[in-house]
Amino acid sequence: MNETVAFPPALQEATDRLIHALLGSGSFLAYQGSLAQLESDSQARGLLERLSMLQVALRGKQGAGQINQADIEELRAVQSKVRVHPAIIEYAQSQQGAADVLREVNQEIRQVLGMDFAALARSNTC
Amino acid sequence: MNNVGLHDAEVVTPAEVHRAARAFAAALAETPQFTAFKQADEALSNDTEAQQALSRLQAKAKSLRALLMLNAVSDAERAELDGLRDAYLTRATVRASAAAEGELTGLCQQAARIMSAATGMDYAATCGASCCG
Repeated sequence: MNETVAFPPALQEATDRLIHALLGSGSFLAYQGSLAQLESDSQARGLLERLSMLQVALRGKQGAGQINQADIEELRAVQSKVRVHPAIIEYAQSQQGAADVLREVNQEIRQVLGMDFAALARSNTC
Repeated sequence: MNNVGLHDAEVVTPAEVHRAARAFAAALAETPQFTAFKQADEALSNDTEAQQALSRLQAKAKSLRALLMLNAVSDAERAELDGLRDAYLTRATVRASAAAEGELTGLCQQAARIMSAATGMDYAATCGASCCG
């Protein structure tokens, strides 16, 4: 169901408190910090943009059976640089940390409700 | 997403985050949508005719699974399967349960959207939830 239903005030308040707690947690603060760092690092952003462009181009070539060795080597070279860039590594690790906190929260909610809240929240995607 | 500096914010402890999660769950459990869903679910569980109709439908679908995959089911078998499906889906308890689940799902989706927008992370996707199993 996609329509917007009336959102109960008590639930809104509890949602706001949960968001406040999440954003104030060490993991989310680290995630926000590394995101800001990544956004201000032109070299890191350039690498990620290049990687994304190469992946899109390769998918197109793959469909037409036109991939050559040079394409693969260029992709691998950019991937190697991405994997060792400090700002990108920091961002990826902190994002994982924040994701872990979200999963813990969902587990906590599941224990109270006896149902998977995230699954309910996503059940319109199929 | 807000850019909160590491040094100018008070860090919330994991215990406080978990407490907020439990409070959120408790607030969700008290909504009319959740209450209605639990009641409808219980009514469906107690509806023996609906459970029998479901068992018949599942058994028939299982027996035809290979033919269904090959799109080789006869008209008579398909009509029987459709009839069993209708017999189940048109029961009042099944319809009520589906409607209540839809209402609760809508509420959960709204809550998750609010959390995703505020945190910058897709809540449902991050938690690995999939209705496809």
